[in-house]
Amino acid sequence: MTDAPAIEVDHLTKKFGDFTAVEDVSLTIERGEIFGFLGPNGAGKSTTIRSILDLIRPTLGSCRVLGLDSRKDAVEIRRHLGFLPSDLALYPNLTGKQTIQYMANLRGGVDWARVDAIAERFGADLDKKVGDYSSGNRQKVGLILAFMHNPQVVILDEPITGLDPLVQLEFHTLMREHVTAGNTVFLSSHTLSEVERVADRVGFIRRGHLIAVERMSDLHEKSLRRVSLEFPAPVAATAFDGIEGVHDAEVEGSTVTARYEGSMGPLLKVATDLGVLSLNTASVDLDEIFLEFYRDETVAADAGGAGNAAEGDAA
Amino acid sequence: MLRSLYLKSIRDRWVGVTVAVVSLFLVVWMGLWAYSGVDEADTYLQQMPDEMIAMLGITRDSGTTGLMFSTMFSFLAPFVFAGLALSIGASAIAGEERDGTMNVLTSAPRSRSRLLWSKSAGLLTLMVLGAVATWVSYEAAAQLSGADASGLDLGAATVQTTVVSLFYGAVALAIGAGTGNRSTASGIATGFVVVSFLAAGLLPLFAGWEDAAKIFPWYYIDAGQPMINGVDWAPMAVLAGISIALALLGWWGLLRRDLRAGGGHVSIMERLKRNERLGAILTRLQGKGSTRGIITKSLSDQRSITVIAGGSFFLFLVAMGPMFKALGDTLGDVVDSMPDALLAMIGYADYTTATGWYHGEAMSIYGPLMISIVVIGAGAALVREEKLRTIGVLLSVPMSRAAIALRKLAAMVILAMVVGVILFVGITLGSAVANLGMDVGNIAAAAVMLTALGLMIGASAYFFGGLMGKHSAAIWGGTGVAVAGWAINTFVGVNPDLEWFAKISPFYWLLHGYPLDNGIDWTALAVLMTEAVVLAALGLWAYRRRDLRG
Repeated sequence: MTDAPAIEVDHLTKKFGDFTAVEDVSLTIERGEIFGFLGPNGAGKSTTIRSILDLIRPTLGSCRVLGLDSRKDAVEIRRHLGFLPSDLALYPNLTGKQTIQYMANLRGGVDWARVDAIAERFGADLDKKVGDYSSGNRQKVGLILAFMHNPQVVILDEPITGLDPLVQLEFHTLMREHVTAGNTVFLSSHTLSEVERVADRVGFIRRGHLIAVERMSDLHEKSLRRVSLEFPAPVAATAFDGIEGVHDAEVEGSTVTARYEGSMGPLLKVATDLGVLSLNTASVDLDEIFLEFYRDETVAADAGGAGNAAEGDAA
Repeated sequence: MLRSLYLKSIRDRWVGVTVAVVSLFLVVWMGLWAYSGVDEADTYLQQMPDEMIAMLGITRDSGTTGLMFSTMFSFLAPFVFAGLALSIGASAIAGEERDGTMNVLTSAPRSRSRLLWSKSAGLLTLMVLGAVATWVSYEAAAQLSGADASGLDLGAATVQTTVVSLFYGAVALAIGAGTGNRSTASGIATGFVVVSFLAAGLLPLFAGWEDAAKIFPWYYIDAGQPMINGVDWAPMAVLAGISIALALLGWWGLLRRDLRAGGGHVSIMERLKRNERLGAILTRLQGKGSTRGIITKSLSDQRSITVIAGGSFFLFLVAMGPMFKALGDTLGDVVDSMPDALLAMIGYADYTTATGWYHGEAMSIYGPLMISIVVIGAGAALVREEKLRTIGVLLSVPMSRAAIALRKLAAMVILAMVVGVILFVGITLGSAVANLGMDVGNIAAAAVMLTALGLMIGASAYFFGGLMGKHSAAIWGGTGVAVAGWAINTFVGVNPDLEWFAKISPFYWLLHGYPLDNGIDWTALAVLMTEAVVLAALGLWAYRRRDLRG
């Protein structure tokens, strides 16, 4: 158990009737990393997570947490696991404090000093009934529940919903501390900036298919940046074609926009020769990176998704 | 009026209304079929004393068909209709607030008044359509079973039932619109229905109190004997007038208060607790919301309903003792003059004895009703975690699904036993107060039998929830078993030739052995317990295997 990866998803397929929510997804999350799980709404993020947690059962394939089987060893897994469901619901008639007491009792006790410390960091008000909470305050209670027993693996489904920016920052710090101590965080999100800021690796899921898993640093390295250049006079439409690392150059009079990867040197050389006046660069966001690099896989997933729907209709 | 909202209100509820109509039809059809098989019934009817005939609201000529419809209109049909009306009425405005959909609804440029009137019109339409459909279905059932219902004005009886039901619906609508609290509205209206039912049935039995029953709407369901004399329009007009006044009162409240935005739901208990004097008592009564474990948390979740249902049941049981003393002479004469076979046939226990009195009132109607309310809620508590979407957090603790499910089941068993104990203490006390000298061992036997019935019904709710993963399936499955069981035993049980059929009803096993007279019927107990265990085991098995919702 000690050496096994934090989470393994092994050829997971989950169908609901004719609808395939997740198809043949495999991924391995090592210990000590924050893994970002990214994808649009309805891509299959929550289905994957709920399979790992044994809330739903795979149609095919299996999941393991810390080397333990998600179905057979569900109870043992939960001893070492913290979970924050998406769109969190709690018992409206209990106060925040009572909610934590209840879950702590069911766990057989927790370190209350730790609970108090986390509550303090988030500025959580635990004395009111959950039913009277704002969504942000409810989310804070959910985060306390996920982290209070110092779990080796934490699975968070859309954790920052409703949190204000300061609390988000504090939460990201807490998450990083937790991972630095040797634990693992699985962070599902459709908020690109969040994943970009905190994740070590990121997986991109679309229409139930895992498109790619990349190290964040690699992604940044090969990530595209956008550049826009101003020249004193109109330039030839083909002036920027075929330059190393430059994609999709568009010329409009004396303005040129293009995207590039790697070094800017070859591009600058040509630009300088043409007497460039000014230059602006910006990063392309994660979403676009994926669409760019994994265009084929994305198209295949989209086609596959449509194919499934058609089969469903036929059946 | 807003046409789309009006139509949506109808669309949201037409399934419920249809289920009610079809169920009533099936019960009537089954009842007519069973009654028509009792050959001696007409002879008994001729021998029946005039007072009794008047009480049933029929004539001697109407035969078994009349007897059947009399039973129908005095209990099941009004309860179903009143239940529908008050549930629709309570949800009309307050339901949208509880679900948080009021926010979206009020973002449309339409006034609160128009929202309310559209919803009210929806309620009225649904009830009228339901009434017409049941009336037609009654006539159809009579045709199908070859019963002669020509001398009975079923339409008039349906009209009176519907007007009274709409009155209860208006009470719920007014409270819901005026306070925005759905559970307060349905709670108060349901309490009012139950109190009216008891008062309208019991008060006329006491000399000097006959007129007091007239302040309760339930009384007007069969006032003026509509099946013989047609609709008694004067009281109907008064009830309709008061219903409109209530709706206007709700409207007045709705225009003046803050709307709720869902989530921040405040229960009746919470509201009462805000009252200083009541609050101190209630807080003590309710105790602290327990967070010790799943069983204690489940018990504390059900505490309010158990305290209300069990408390009123207890008071009722104790009061029944002295009531029997006061009644003994009046009722005894009527019952004495009736042949025993007839008494058995129309399901009346022997009201001349204390055990028969408690059997007929506490064991046959009120006891099963109270224990059902408690155990159906408790049996559905497991799947309720899915409805509330709290199961994700709950199952993040290191406990297996089975461990959690068994603890929820244990809470249901404990609550059934609590109601059993209430029955035991209540009847024992009632008997002691009135010096009725009932056998304590037999009272304990009755308590055990009622508990077993509760376990069977609670396990039904648990089974449907475990299997289907829907809270509503658990609630309606449990309710369906209770209502169908009651109807089968009440209507089919009258025909000795059909005893085999009556045996599928848990009520048959509860009542057939007359536990207050004869102690525990071990066979009956074994049947009920086996059914309960099998249902619970199947529910647990299904729950462990399926995907969880939420």
